[in-house]
Amino acid sequence: MATCLADAFFDDVARATVEVLEHLGCEVAFPEDQTCCGQPAFNSGDWPAARRVGRHCLKVFARADPVVVPSGSCARMVGHGALLLFEGERDLPAVAALAGRTWELADYIVRGLGVARWPGRLAARLAFHRSCHSRGTQFGQSALALLRSIEGAEVVELGEAEQCCGFGGTFSVGFPHVSRAMGDLKIDRVLEAAPDALVSADSSCLMHMAGLAEKEKRPLRTMHLAQVLRDALRGKAHA
Amino acid sequence: MSHPPSGDLPQDPRRERIDQFAAGQSESRRSAVRLGSKAGHDKRTETLARDYADPDGLRALAGAIKQHTLDHLDEYLERAEERLRAHGAVVHFATDAEQARAIVLDILQRREARKVVKAKSMATEEVELGPFLEGKGIECLETDLGEFIVQIDADHPSHIVKPIIHKNRREIARSFETHNLGAYDDTPEVITRRARVFLRRKYLEADAAITGANFISAESGRLVLVTNEGNSRFCLAATSCHVALVGIEKLVPRDRDLGVFLNLLARSATGQSLSVYTELLTGPRASSQPDGPEEMHVIFLDNGRSEILGGDCREILRCIRCGACLNVCPVYRQASGHAYRGVYSGPVGAVLTPLLAGGKPDAFLGFADLPRASSLCGACNEVCPVDIPIPDLLLRLRDRGKRAGASSPALAPPTMKRFAQLASRPWAWRRALATGRLLGLVPAPLRPRALRLWGQNHALPPWRGGAFRKWMAARAQPPKAEAGAKA
Amino acid sequence: MSDDARAQIFARVRGALARLPGKQPLPDYAADVALSRGAAEVKSPSQAVARLRERMEGARGRAFTDGRSLGAWLIERGANRGYVDPTLLPAMRSALGGFADRLTLETELDRARIDDYQFGITRAAGAIAETGSLILDDATTSRRLAALAPWIHVAVLTPTQIHPHLVAALAALNDDPCIIFCTGPSKTADVEGILIEGVHGPGEQVALILPQL
Repeated sequence: MATCLADAFFDDVARATVEVLEHLGCEVAFPEDQTCCGQPAFNSGDWPAARRVGRHCLKVFARADPVVVPSGSCARMVGHGALLLFEGERDLPAVAALAGRTWELADYIVRGLGVARWPGRLAARLAFHRSCHSRGTQFGQSALALLRSIEGAEVVELGEAEQCCGFGGTFSVGFPHVSRAMGDLKIDRVLEAAPDALVSADSSCLMHMAGLAEKEKRPLRTMHLAQVLRDALRGKAHA
Repeated sequence: MSHPPSGDLPQDPRRERIDQFAAGQSESRRSAVRLGSKAGHDKRTETLARDYADPDGLRALAGAIKQHTLDHLDEYLERAEERLRAHGAVVHFATDAEQARAIVLDILQRREARKVVKAKSMATEEVELGPFLEGKGIECLETDLGEFIVQIDADHPSHIVKPIIHKNRREIARSFETHNLGAYDDTPEVITRRARVFLRRKYLEADAAITGANFISAESGRLVLVTNEGNSRFCLAATSCHVALVGIEKLVPRDRDLGVFLNLLARSATGQSLSVYTELLTGPRASSQPDGPEEMHVIFLDNGRSEILGGDCREILRCIRCGACLNVCPVYRQASGHAYRGVYSGPVGAVLTPLLAGGKPDAFLGFADLPRASSLCGACNEVCPVDIPIPDLLLRLRDRGKRAGASSPALAPPTMKRFAQLASRPWAWRRALATGRLLGLVPAPLRPRALRLWGQNHALPPWRGGAFRKWMAARAQPPKAEAGAKA
Repeated sequence: MSDDARAQIFARVRGALARLPGKQPLPDYAADVALSRGAAEVKSPSQAVARLRERMEGARGRAFTDGRSLGAWLIERGANRGYVDPTLLPAMRSALGGFADRLTLETELDRARIDDYQFGITRAAGAIAETGSLILDDATTSRRLAALAPWIHVAVLTPTQIHPHLVAALAALNDDPCIIFCTGPSKTADVEGILIEGVHGPGEQVALILPQL
């Protein structure tokens, strides 16, 4: 599952994901009929609309196992949000089944494939932003484990790490002032840590923070975890 | 750290109220709330890690005990009632706010009480008891320092545990001067000392005391009052009648379960291992004790709780009012408690306020924006001592709000119907990806509203619709094709 | 009026619960899951005294293990006049030794002169080592106001009255209508988060632990 954001803006993240999985020996298929996991409609409370999109998702990935997605937020939607969305519906069993075979990328690598050390090398100072949607899952730990294992990589802590970046999908549009204030605080903490790049396993958070920073003319370099892993494979000297 | 003036963003009648409130807030107030909240959160984290190897396990246990109690509430309520009566307390039931007020008034009038002192109680604020009694000629004085300051200022509390987190010492000193509590002096010690002297006289002159309760143990009927200032102790040492207003959801099964809850409550609220005073009350004073109430009344309050009990958001009734969710919430930190327009603010308020209002027809819709004021980050659930799945409840309330608002589009967010159409028709989706590249050429006012709003604060990333698909398709071709070429 | 309300509330509650898809059973758990780190180490009265003292001081209370030290401290603070539970008077005179004559110990509490009492000395019903708390109740506290109104409250107890931890104290609760766990002096942080002690209650919470009473 490439995610709608990668489809529209972050094709390099999707490419890096494919390359990373192929390096691990996976055969990667991309069902072309895929669109979106339905989260925007779900979060905004239009559950009938969200179910329509969710049903399309069920069709597209009906025979896919496993489904790997480079986004904690989409993985959580398929793995948890959809179960609320389809409570009491006929297709709940199919939804639950899809939930059971869908993996967030880092989690798949570490816990699905048992990879403890990421090969290659990347000499860089990296700060990791664990997206809020990974709360209650192992996604964050898996991503951190991979990053820390990269030769040459130094992973630095972010202050107030538990605070949300302020994206929240429709929240950033409906609550622009608060969303921006939250993002600005997050960028402050990142700049204090002075990494070469801010890494996350979620393009949505990165898009929000990078977008704010660029508009405010503050220097912020962002990378998706998949891109870091791919670059390490290519043995880059610096991120 | 620079934050743009709120005047930047255009006035849009469809802009969310909480966002507007936050934008209009003074920087000093925002700062006071943010730093006060952060300090509370940090202390909580530190204390729990210091004292427990598995704080999350303890939270899950507390949540399960509370959920069990709620799921068997009729049994526990009956047991608590029986025990309280056996110990000499008078037990009443109030279906709603109006009834609660009437019962309190009746008790006070029978005792010819003209002056009442009140300890902090969210339930009494919920039913607006103070103003009601004042209207009936009964002085009803708040004794919790923060609530006292709010009362003399005719202000509203902005936090469940720290009611004046939004005020600074200068504002308080000016207030004291205005209300004849002494010439301007903003030293915190002086402020506190003046309140002590003033309230002491009031306790000793009062005829009755009103409190809430943090817990009631059904096994023994014991009310548990948790405070730091000693105001509820003074209320109950100096007056001869005690009235406790308690929500029916405050029950816990047994005295031993208090071990779990008391250990979690103060740590979650302020990082203390126990608050200064934990009072365990089963009835009026002992016959050998000269001080204290000779009459104790416990009023069990419904006011919408039984309705919530059978619904899909019932986990919110587990709440023990610790305020930890407020302290960690990034939206609360930006907006402050007043933004939530109710007695309960922050994440718990965003769920409870619309639910408690739900009894009245349009009232729910009037608060339907509260559950939307969240990025669903989940930090609230992570700190909740009774493990309430707040983000899930917010989502359910958004669904409910959307359905309720079908008749009033102005109150509900725009429909996602078009998005759903696009996302369930692959050919339409792919076409949108291909043509979206033209979006950059369309003049701003004509782009969809969401994109415009986004573009005000963010630089838009370059449109790459279709690029990945082309790349994947090219790889499936024989080697002479442009594998990996950019779209 | 209240009877109809009661019937209505119970009917609504029962109706709501009947709609539930499933009910949470009462978790079966060992009470010691609520013990904080190190709480279980306290096994003897002398360990309890040491832990109580350490935790009381952590909560900014004070503990004395002999009356003379308490007496000296009161005098040094300028607290010469106070109330003492009449049943404690002989024991206090004995414990305070020479300091007893330098203090005015009244055995009646007059509400009209409440601020004349610079200290109040009453019995504790117990204590909790883990939290540094004193336990007061109606049966053993001669006057609720004496333990509350004066700036200094001294609770008198013996080592065997100290529970090792909160869980043990809860297990030992009796039928007393008003049991209070006091952990340090009264305080507030309502004004800008700054901690101030001695709000409505005592600004000094003191324990006097005597070998016997």
